[in-house]
Amino acid sequence: MTVSRPTWLVAAAVIIFAGLAAIGVYRPAHAAAPPSVIKIGTLYASSGTFAVASQGQYQGLQYWASLVNKDGGVYVKAFNKKIPVKIIAYDDQSSTTTATTLYNQLITQDKVDVLIADFGSVLTSVAIPLAAEHHMLLIDPTGSGANFFTKKTDYLADVSIPSSAVWPVPLAQFILAQKLKRVAILYDSNDFDASQAETLKSVLGQGGVTPVYYNGVPTTESNYAVLLHTIAATHPDAVLEFGYAPNDIAFLRDLTSSGLHFNMTFTIFPGQLISLITKNVGAKALAYTYTYPTPPLVRYPHVTTGMNTAEFVQAFTAANKVAPNFLNAAGYNNGLIVGEMLARAPQFTQLDFHSALMAMSGSTTTLLGAFKINENGAQLGELLPVAQIVPEGTANKFVVVYPQDKATGKAVYPAPQQ
Amino acid sequence: MSLLEYALIGGILYGIFFALVGIGLNLIFGVMRMINIAHGQFVLLGGYGAFLLSARLGLNPIFGVLLAIAGAIVVGLPLYYAVVPRLQASRDPEMLSFILFFGIAQMIDAILVAVFGADQRSLPQDALGSGNLSALGQSFPDAWWVAVAMSLLVTAALYLYFTRTRLGFATRAIIANRDEALATGIDVQRVSALSFVIGLALAGIAGVFVPYLLGSISPDIGNELTTTSFAVIIIGSLGNPLGTIIGGLVFGIGTLFMQTFLPSWSNMVPYALLVIIVLLRPAGLLGRAVRVT
Repeated sequence: MTVSRPTWLVAAAVIIFAGLAAIGVYRPAHAAAPPSVIKIGTLYASSGTFAVASQGQYQGLQYWASLVNKDGGVYVKAFNKKIPVKIIAYDDQSSTTTATTLYNQLITQDKVDVLIADFGSVLTSVAIPLAAEHHMLLIDPTGSGANFFTKKTDYLADVSIPSSAVWPVPLAQFILAQKLKRVAILYDSNDFDASQAETLKSVLGQGGVTPVYYNGVPTTESNYAVLLHTIAATHPDAVLEFGYAPNDIAFLRDLTSSGLHFNMTFTIFPGQLISLITKNVGAKALAYTYTYPTPPLVRYPHVTTGMNTAEFVQAFTAANKVAPNFLNAAGYNNGLIVGEMLARAPQFTQLDFHSALMAMSGSTTTLLGAFKINENGAQLGELLPVAQIVPEGTANKFVVVYPQDKATGKAVYPAPQQ
Repeated sequence: MSLLEYALIGGILYGIFFALVGIGLNLIFGVMRMINIAHGQFVLLGGYGAFLLSARLGLNPIFGVLLAIAGAIVVGLPLYYAVVPRLQASRDPEMLSFILFFGIAQMIDAILVAVFGADQRSLPQDALGSGNLSALGQSFPDAWWVAVAMSLLVTAALYLYFTRTRLGFATRAIIANRDEALATGIDVQRVSALSFVIGLALAGIAGVFVPYLLGSISPDIGNELTTTSFAVIIIGSLGNPLGTIIGGLVFGIGTLFMQTFLPSWSNMVPYALLVIIVLLRPAGLLGRAVRVT
């Protein structure tokens, strides 16, 4: 049998086209006709270590979707029309194993149009290689581990929290400005906390400060009594603990019950989940400790898209009968960024989505601050200042102490003994 | 030297508490040869009971100890008679109990999330004392000492039960050889039911103190408590409740020494010790063989 040249060429073209489609370089799925809904796939944790934070983030995204759908849907430039959004969400129970399976299901079975990771670096870490393998852009709300962003990629964008490579920079600068020389750093051994600790150590090192204590503990650590005693033996001026909310609770409770006192104590999650932490450790235990205050504690009045921070607080409170925390704001911000991305992407492809995000970078401000990502997908904007929690009557208030242009007061150092 | 002393004394206190966490699991295994994989969840129930007493009724959480005992009777007896005789009549009670209690653990987790939510809960920090007590110049929070005192009290009571009461003799006879105990006329079901209730009560009592030793409680820590308890009882002696004290001490001292000198590896301690013990002394430090193949 002979094959004519045109037939051979057609066959070759079909094979090449099929090959490109198989590896996902060419994704024509919605190029021809607009879909009836934009499918947004995400995970949340109803239980486990990350449940509280994850559910807050998910609730924020749901709130954004409800607002958008009330308005007829999200504007999609590729189809020049508004299309309703549908969130497809599964419960990973804070397990990376379960999350891996469910991310895979969202991509391959549900064939979602937009993929959003669950809360935090631990549950995001398993989504990154999967998304890249399937040529899906991963919207990464709060996975900030510095090692996620080490090379150029079209398939990852950290949208709602600064990368851990830049996040602790204001904190390090504050410590250097305070001329503190003896710094103890205790961190959880996970992508989020370890990379924050590493960045902090590096910036302090550039300022001539070498930590007197620098150790990691398991993320499941819940007993800090002996660790605190070991740290106290190094006579630090400042003790910085990088952990998740359960770690911060155990750390602060053990610090209170130990009778030890440090001139400066820093933890992360009081700035994000102040009511949870206060409920568990008490307002007195938080007095004069330091944290990163996050929106809505820090407010951005001038935004280019969506509600500003104050408007969001008012609207979210009215809709949900409870004031939002940072994770709610982060979840809402994910939706805003996705909405703006769809409104700008000329074609309905993952690569166009990524290009739209890059175009937004540097020119977009939301309720979380300036949106600025680099070619590795790291968030370099939305920087968080340093605040001290100061007693006010029987409660506490946040006083931003660094940087100077955002400061609302001066740091009380050394912290008075309670 | 001070760090070493602090880690040693802290490890002893921490270990004695973890003996209390594990001892109920060991009692149930010793008497019934059943693996209560929901043990950590029963510990949590004790913690949440104390939380309810404290947050809703304004009582001192120490009353959670009484609630744990009452709860163990109310929950334990029906649960025992509903499932254990059937399991023991099966071909492979150990494996079936593993599966059944896994299901119970999942149910308790789901109920706790539904009732209390997924977030962390704590007990009032000063409810068990707001100061520090010293031993050999090393001070630890009052709550640690109260937890240790309760552990020692409960262990002493269990020892007296085993060595001074007819039911205790019967329990030891069943632990030694269930078939022979049955042949000598011991009411094995009745003694086993009592042991099951005591085991759950011990778990619940330990739970009252978990928020003080581990910072807080949340529904997700049950499985971790179960695996740590397993490590403690295997190190001590599987099937020998009093051997749990030795297991707890080895675990506590090992963990706090690692926290002091090599903190990144501290959570590896119970499992590394478990592997070493299983390889060198399969019956545990104080044990004898508990399974006949």
